[in-house]
Amino acid sequence: MPQIEFRNVTKEYIPGIKVLDDVSFSIESGEFVFIIGPSGAGKSTIIKLLLREENPESGEIFFEGRNIAEITPNEMPDYRRKIGVVFQDYKLLDSKTVYDNVAISLEVVNSDEEDIKNIVPNVLSLVGLLDHASYKPEELSGGEKQRTAIARALAHEPDVLIADEATGMIDPDSSDEIVEILEKINSLGTTVIMATHDQRIVDKLTKRVIKIHKGKLVSDKKGGKYRA
Amino acid sequence: MFPIKKEENIVPKMWKNLKHYLEKERLMSLSQFLAMTVTFLLLGIFIEIIAVSQTMLKYLEDQAQITVFFKDEFGEDKILSFKSNLESDPRVLEVNYISKEQALEIFKEINKDQPVLLESISASILPASLEIKTRKISDLEPLTNELQGKEGVEEVRFYKDVVERFRSTSNTVYIVGFILVVVFFVISYSIIISSLRNLINSRGPELEIMKLVGASDSYVKNPFIYQGMFFSVVSAVVASIIMLLVGFGELKSGVFSEGLSFGFLPHIFISPLIFSLILAFILILSGFLLGYFGSNAAVKKYLKY
Repeated sequence: MPQIEFRNVTKEYIPGIKVLDDVSFSIESGEFVFIIGPSGAGKSTIIKLLLREENPESGEIFFEGRNIAEITPNEMPDYRRKIGVVFQDYKLLDSKTVYDNVAISLEVVNSDEEDIKNIVPNVLSLVGLLDHASYKPEELSGGEKQRTAIARALAHEPDVLIADEATGMIDPDSSDEIVEILEKINSLGTTVIMATHDQRIVDKLTKRVIKIHKGKLVSDKKGGKYRA
Repeated sequence: MFPIKKEENIVPKMWKNLKHYLEKERLMSLSQFLAMTVTFLLLGIFIEIIAVSQTMLKYLEDQAQITVFFKDEFGEDKILSFKSNLESDPRVLEVNYISKEQALEIFKEINKDQPVLLESISASILPASLEIKTRKISDLEPLTNELQGKEGVEEVRFYKDVVERFRSTSNTVYIVGFILVVVFFVISYSIIISSLRNLINSRGPELEIMKLVGASDSYVKNPFIYQGMFFSVVSAVVASIIMLLVGFGELKSGVFSEGLSFGFLPHIFISPLIFSLILAFILILSGFLLGYFGSNAAVKKYLKY
C-alpha cells in the first residue's frame, strides 16, 4: 500500500479552469520525491490538496490507505501532525525565539513540558541550530530561518515532510544545507516531498522527479533530472 | 539542561494571553468593562424596579377597597344584613362594618390636631359604612356600579385612579427599561465581537501557524472564548456586587419590612437581601451566557485560520 496516492485528481479554483487535470501518482513510505514545474504549474495545489486545505473537484487522495476526504474535522489535527510542512516564506513568529517557534508545534497538542524540553533541543540539534535557540528570527539568515521551520515541522516526528519551495528565498550555499538536512531526515525514514523549480538541486540529488506542467503530470522518473 | 525558561509553566496560558491583552489594549479593555458593567447594572436595576413596583402595586391593591356609606335611616341591623349578603358574594374577600361611633373615632384620630373641628362633630352626623375588599382588583369597579343605587346606600367610593395610574406608570417603566436592557445587551454583544475580531486579526499569522502544526480547533478557539467570557462575567460580578449593596441598604433601611413581592408569586415575600442574591445569580448567569455566545459568534465569524 502506498503511503500517498493521488487517483485521477482534478482541481479547479475557477470553474472551467483546471489547475490540476486528472493527476495520478503514488509515493511509498521513505521515498524522497521532487515535484517540479514552473510557477503556476500546480505544485502548491498538490500540497494544499494533500493537507486538505483544498478539496478536489474529482478524484481521490489516499494517505496511508485512507481517503482523506473522509477525515472528520476532529481527526484533522491528528492528520496534519503526520505531515510536516515548510514554506518558502518560513512562517515563523517574529516575536518568539527559535526555541519557542519550534516548541509551539508541541504546545498546541498539550505536550508535557518535559517532553518539550527533550524534543526541541533534539530537533534543533538535527538542523544545526542548538546554539541559536534563544535567537529571534530577525537575528537569523534565510537559511537559518528555513532550518528553524524544518525543526518545527519535525517536532511531531511526522511520517511525511513537505518542503514547498523551501529554497526559494535563500542563497545556493544555504539551499545546499537545507537539502542536506532533508536528505538526513529522509535517511532516518521520513518521506520527503520537495516542490521546487530549482534545477540545480534536482539535478544534484538525482531522486525521483514528478514533473507537472499546466496542471498535468507530464513525467514521473526515478533518478530523474529537471530537464530530462 | 536547556537554558531557556518557559513562562507557560508559571502562568496558565489563558491568563498570560489575557494579561497581555489587558496591558496592550488598556483603553479598549476599560471601555469594554465599563459598557458591559453598565449593561448588567441596567439589567439589575430593571429587575429591581420590577420587584419594587410589583411590591408597591401589591400594597396599593391591598389597600384598594370600596367604601359604602349608608343613609342615617338605614339601621344597623339592615347594614349587617347587607354585609352578610356581600360576604356570600364569591368576588368579595372581606367586609368590615364601621359604625357611626367607630367613624367618629377614626375622624378624631385623623383630625386630632384640629380641636375646633372636633368640637363641632358628633357620631350622629357621620354615616355608618362598610369597607369591602375584593379578591381581584378588577372586581372593584363592577361591584361599585352594582352597589350604587341599592336601598339605603348614600354614596359609594372607590379610589380606582390611584391604582390604575400606578399600574400604567409601572407598565411604561417596564417597557422603557426592557428596551434599554435590550439596547445595552446588543451594544455589549457588539463590543465582545469587535474586540475579538481585532484580536483575531492581529494574531492572524500565529493562528495560521498553529493550524499548520496541528493545533486542534478548541486549542485555537478557546483562549478567545475565555477572554470574551472573562470580560462579560467580571462585568456582571461588579454589577452584582452593586446590586447586593442596594439589597443590603433596603434591608437596613427597613423600607420593605414585609419583603418584596411579585404578582405572579402570590402570598410570597422575599427578603431584599435574598432577592439581591437571586438577582446577582441572574446577572452572573447573563454575563456567562452573553460572553459565551458573543465570543463564539466572533470566533465563528472571524477565525478563518
